[in-house]
Amino acid sequence: NLGSLQPLPPDSNDSPASASRVARITGAGDQNLFTSVYPTLSQQLPREPMEWRRSYGRAPKMIHLESNFVQFKEELLPKEGNKALLTFPFLHIYWTECCDTEVYKATVKDDLTKWQNILKAHSSVDWLIVIVENDAKKKNKTNILPRTSIVDKIRNDFCNKQSDRCVVLSDPLKDSSRTQESWNAFLTKLRTLLLMSFTKNLGKFEDDMRTLREKRTEPGWSFCEYFMVQEELAFVFEMLQQFEDALVQYDELDALFSQYVVNFGAGDGANWLTFFCQPVKSWNGLILRKPIDMEKRESIQRREATLLDLRSYLFSRQCTLLLFLQRPWEVAQRALELLHNCVQELKLLEVSVPPGALDCWVFLSCLEVLQRIEGCCDRAQIDSNIAHTVGLWSYATEKLKSLGYLCGLVSEKGPNSEDLNRTVDLLAGLGAERPETANTAQSPYKKLKEALSSVEAFEKHYLDLSHATIEMYTSIGRIRSAKFVGKDLAEFYMRKKAPQKAEIYLQGALKNYLAEGWALPITHTRKQLAECQKHLGQIENYLQTSSLLASDHHLTEEERKHFCQEILDFASQPSDSPGHKIVLPMHSFAQLRDLHFDPSNAVVHVGGVLCVEITMYSQMPVPVHVEQIVVNVHFSIEKNSYRKTAEWLTKHKTSNGIINFPPETTPFPVSQNNLPALELYEMFERSPSDNSLNTTGIICRNVHMLLRRQESCSSLEMPSGVALEEGAHVLRCSHVTLEPGANQITFRTQAKEPGTYTLRQLCASVGSVWFVLPHIYPIVQYDVYSQEPQLHVEPLADSLLAGIPQKVKFTVTTGHYTIKNGDSLQLSNAEAMLILCQAESRAMVYSNTREQSSEAALRIQSSDKVTSISLPVAPAYHVIEFELEVLSLPSAPALGGESDMLGTAEPHRKHKDKQRTGHCMVTTDHKVSIDCPWSIYSTVIALTFSIPFRTTHALLSSGTRKYVQVCVQNLSELDFQLSDSYLVDTGDSTDLQLVPLNTQSQQPIYSKQSVFFVWELKWTEEPPPSLHCRFSVGFSPASEEQLSISLKPYTYEFKVENFFTLYNVKAEIFPPSGMEYCRTGSLCSLEVLITRLSDLLEVDKDEALTESDEHFSTKLMYEVVDNSSNWAVCGKSCGVISMPVAARATYRVHMEVMPLFAGYLPLPDVRLFKYLPHHSAHSSQLDADSWIENDSLSVDKHGDDQPDSSSLKSRGSVHSACSSEHKGLPMPRLQALPAGQVFNSSSGTQVLVIPSQDDHVLEVSVT
Amino acid sequence: MADEALFLLLHNEMVSGVYKSMEQGEVENGRCITKLENMGFRVGQGLIERFTKDTARFKDELDIMKFICKDFWTTVFKKQIDNLRTNHQGIYVLQDNKFRLLTQMSAGKQYLEHASKYLAFTCGLIRGGLSNLGIKSIVTAEVSSMPACKFQVMIQKL
Amino acid sequence: MAICIPVITKENYPLYICSIPTENELKFQYMVHTSLDVVDEKISSMGKALVNQRELYLGLLYPTEDYKVLQGYATISKVKFFMVVNSSNTALQDNEIHRMFWKLHNSYIDVMCNPFCNSRDFDNMVMYIMIQVC
Repeated sequence: NLGSLQPLPPDSNDSPASASRVARITGAGDQNLFTSVYPTLSQQLPREPMEWRRSYGRAPKMIHLESNFVQFKEELLPKEGNKALLTFPFLHIYWTECCDTEVYKATVKDDLTKWQNILKAHSSVDWLIVIVENDAKKKNKTNILPRTSIVDKIRNDFCNKQSDRCVVLSDPLKDSSRTQESWNAFLTKLRTLLLMSFTKNLGKFEDDMRTLREKRTEPGWSFCEYFMVQEELAFVFEMLQQFEDALVQYDELDALFSQYVVNFGAGDGANWLTFFCQPVKSWNGLILRKPIDMEKRESIQRREATLLDLRSYLFSRQCTLLLFLQRPWEVAQRALELLHNCVQELKLLEVSVPPGALDCWVFLSCLEVLQRIEGCCDRAQIDSNIAHTVGLWSYATEKLKSLGYLCGLVSEKGPNSEDLNRTVDLLAGLGAERPETANTAQSPYKKLKEALSSVEAFEKHYLDLSHATIEMYTSIGRIRSAKFVGKDLAEFYMRKKAPQKAEIYLQGALKNYLAEGWALPITHTRKQLAECQKHLGQIENYLQTSSLLASDHHLTEEERKHFCQEILDFASQPSDSPGHKIVLPMHSFAQLRDLHFDPSNAVVHVGGVLCVEITMYSQMPVPVHVEQIVVNVHFSIEKNSYRKTAEWLTKHKTSNGIINFPPETTPFPVSQNNLPALELYEMFERSPSDNSLNTTGIICRNVHMLLRRQESCSSLEMPSGVALEEGAHVLRCSHVTLEPGANQITFRTQAKEPGTYTLRQLCASVGSVWFVLPHIYPIVQYDVYSQEPQLHVEPLADSLLAGIPQKVKFTVTTGHYTIKNGDSLQLSNAEAMLILCQAESRAMVYSNTREQSSEAALRIQSSDKVTSISLPVAPAYHVIEFELEVLSLPSAPALGGESDMLGTAEPHRKHKDKQRTGHCMVTTDHKVSIDCPWSIYSTVIALTFSIPFRTTHALLSSGTRKYVQVCVQNLSELDFQLSDSYLVDTGDSTDLQLVPLNTQSQQPIYSKQSVFFVWELKWTEEPPPSLHCRFSVGFSPASEEQLSISLKPYTYEFKVENFFTLYNVKAEIFPPSGMEYCRTGSLCSLEVLITRLSDLLEVDKDEALTESDEHFSTKLMYEVVDNSSNWAVCGKSCGVISMPVAARATYRVHMEVMPLFAGYLPLPDVRLFKYLPHHSAHSSQLDADSWIENDSLSVDKHGDDQPDSSSLKSRGSVHSACSSEHKGLPMPRLQALPAGQVFNSSSGTQVLVIPSQDDHVLEVSVT
Repeated sequence: MADEALFLLLHNEMVSGVYKSMEQGEVENGRCITKLENMGFRVGQGLIERFTKDTARFKDELDIMKFICKDFWTTVFKKQIDNLRTNHQGIYVLQDNKFRLLTQMSAGKQYLEHASKYLAFTCGLIRGGLSNLGIKSIVTAEVSSMPACKFQVMIQKL
Repeated sequence: MAICIPVITKENYPLYICSIPTENELKFQYMVHTSLDVVDEKISSMGKALVNQRELYLGLLYPTEDYKVLQGYATISKVKFFMVVNSSNTALQDNEIHRMFWKLHNSYIDVMCNPFCNSRDFDNMVMYIMIQVC
């Protein structure tokens, strides 16, 4: 009885659902035997994996074979063309434990033969004969053939040339090593055979399948049929747990079908496809909860499936396999594609779909997929893979939304009957909920039903979905997508008349678009925002948005006009609270393009008129009437900055007066252009030592600006702090109509307070709406200055020269004073300076900005005291310029005689040393006080004149004859013509006469050169002790042609004292006696002869004079010095002598001198001094005088006999020194005789000295 | 890149042209460098597009700088940068010991004061190239002995 | 045929958008802008992944019901080219699109390197592609 075999369940033949993943094996022969071994067999068989080599170069796989055994029946054997691979018997086994030849012959053999014939009949070659032997049986049997013989028999009878088809299993139920071996051998064999047959049949199956597919172009080919076949293959792979391969089968089917659809769209329709085009009647989304959706499968099998059914089933299978493969995210992604694809395919196949049906289907499907995935993943996985699922979420949201709109669930007044009908139809299309989801609370089915049930429910679900989606997008950083969903949400809120909820989303989205400059979305979103703000009654925001839209070129003219009108309408309506202003940023309304000033340097004096002309580019589509355009001006005073003084402003601050403003970058990413431009400069680095270039290069001056981190751009929509400044100073321009495009607007203002005015804000008011440009940048300023009237007097040349006419420039800056007719300058004349007024002196009148405005003649009246210059009429803030000639008397300062003249000269020298090397011109200052019409105080002006000449005098003697030499030195830059020079004695001496020795009277004196004049003094009786002279010479600039006025001559006064010669000193040197010449090294005799030339004179009357009975004598001291050290004076070189004061009294001194050199040697100097006995009284004073006098003389007569004077000086100084230190105790003093009193008749003579014999020695010693 | 000789000639003309226009007062003095640099920037932006057409995506900043030193430099100047140094704080120093645009002038210090105007354009090239690769930077240059020169790139952290 | 070809700069603002018919442009701009999210993700991931660093083609970015194929392509300098195609045409092969983008890229480079910056050639190229892609 075969009942003991466990039979397959009745439905198992055709149900892949219970495709217990096994290969079917049939058993025949001894059933009891089989039953006994079955347990071991069935559990041993799958234990070992087998390598499965596959056709078509597919990679080999290790698989475990399980199998279920059924009793062999003929009907089990497949007929031709059976595609049921699952129920296919892969192997047939015949079991026997016969060991008796008789029995074999009797029964087993026939049985075997029958079995084989059946197999042959069905051309099934996969069979095996198992002979089980156990020793127990052998024991009790006699006449037993050896077991082998049976085996051999069977082999001979059945397995000809495939002896391996017969195996022996010995003592299967025993537990012995032998048993084990035989089992293993048997199992291996079994597996091999099974696999062989499996591979063979599978290959065959695949081949059949392909051939079937090739036929697909033939008429009558059915996709569904093919579908079943290939799915069979898929099942088999699935059974072998080869899910990849299984999936491939489905994907192939998928692709094949899609291809058909496409082709159909292209025109060549397969007739079987028309079947899928039947109208959609049910749209109850995907079902992914069962491994296999049998209903749908059957409908396919029965060829009743709609396109959606087919797709759904296919996807459900793919989903199952993908989940087996642990690839849930691929499910999500494929799902999205599938849904899109289905929608398209339905369109393509022109399948009639009731409105909303697809939306339902998609919505349900999305949720189904999502829930399925959630079902098999944990939170963490899901959260980390939002990127894959979020697409489905937003798709579901989208669909739910459109369903909502469709069923009138979004309108504020609920759905109407028509909507309701539609809803009912849609719900009908869902059919009844499926059992597997029936008891899950949140099933897609329930959700949809509920959502469509009422407005509130819909809102709830829609909001949930939207927020979830937005949240997910945001969480994975897909901000743009989030915003996009947000916009839908906003639209929804708008429809629900809940603008306050909508606004935030619109703003968010708009900001996002602005940041990246997406023009069209910006415009579109703004429009929505405008509507929203209108509903919200946010007037300012609404108006601003409107202005932005009105200036938006992406809108149509009408739209722009509309928004512009909105603004105008609002502006025109009387505002509830008067004076209430609505302040909006200007850039959307109009843009400031450029600005320029008149005067162009933007500097104007108090009371002056300033024009500011601006170009405003109106963005509005229509002309707009503006009540007033106002520029707020900030006023600041910078008192103590030179840059703000009238002088600087009027001279320096110049510009073309046109300022251009950068066009405002309308919606444009801020990141683009917020960087200041690089400031690059060449860099030269020189070595400190020598100034040679070390390195050059390029440096950037504003690195700090550029490298600092970017702060996030503030929203372009709301420029922060648009506040209206209520400045005291404004430029106003009323009732302007701004045409679209460029407009010129001119402001004029009268300058009031002096200072700097900075343009800060530009406002345009339309009714109560104020458009404000909060900051005018670049900075625009104009300056107002006031100025005190001023008078400047300055020489034209760098220094004025005394004595000749010189031009002086008068500059009157009128400042705020207006010069009326009859205003004049009153100059009180300085005594030594006169103002020469020619007839044709003219005055220039300039405006402060140096444009010449007029020219007028100058009227000048001079009285002895006052010169009055009547100024031409000039308005305020003008400049009057004219020139006058002034003449300063040449030698005014010389009045006080030479000494004070030097005195006056001194201070000036000090600071003039710089430009004039050595000696410089003596200057005199003339102070002129001028009364100006604008003030009661008189202005004092000092003019400094330099005397072009410097004069020195010298007294020259020849014996008793006397000469005066005057040296005139021209220090100025000019050349002069000297004429008729005079020297007159201003003293009382009558008989003294001065005889000029000068040749011609006219004489040029060139710049930096000197001219000498000489006079001889003559007298008859006793000359005066001192002599006062005045030298005067006429001069005129050599260049000048005949001058208008006669010039005063240049005079120079001086005084000469003790000029009369008292003593004559004569020195002689004689060679040694008996020699013709002096020889070096040999002593010569020096004879000094001092002769008194006159009798007692006034000058002799001093304490040195001694009187003894009518004989006067004075004490002198002589001294022989040889500065050039040509001579060695032997013995005492000086001595005191008492000299009789009488004419021709002589005194002779003899001394020895030795010449040190050969050649013509000048004689040693002989000097004379007065030898004064000590006299305490006025000595010091006197001696001080003498000292000064000598010094001054020595100063005057440097040039001639230098050594003498220097020695003199030294004497004097030494002497005065000692005198000062020996105050009190009596001591004689020396006093040099004035140079005029001593005449050295032998000065300049030379004596010939010849070298001595052994001169060369000396020569050597000398050199 | 155009033929080398042409590029060199064009560059020389460009420099002299800009400086002429300065003498004629069209470009205010001292802005010449900036003007040249801006030209370079524009060109750099364009070139980088071309040069990166079939290169791999860059991993990081350093990767980009290497690209500038190797491929970019080679294509423009027919040689690589000789030495690239960085403080890893966004400052890079590119040293070229034989900078192509200076090799036409005599080596050493003779014409040193003219060198910088021949570097401005290249500074721009680098800056432009980098900016198109999303790196905002400032590029300065330095020569102490021609024809060797250094370019310093300061990268703006964003 | 392609119905919209935008070029987006590395700062993600639209440098050039050509779409036919033009009335859909708004919709396209919304789509393209939204798809930038995905582009950013892809580019950043490409930067990390060592594989296909030379790959500029981003593939399908933002499928929707009506415009299934929104292909993306990002240069090294992060300039992005897009191609919106009616999802009804499915015949489009990836490598074909790839080639189109490549052409587009080249012509973009030419414009960029052209100091006189006339984009006429670029326009032509775009039109050509618009018609080609189908």
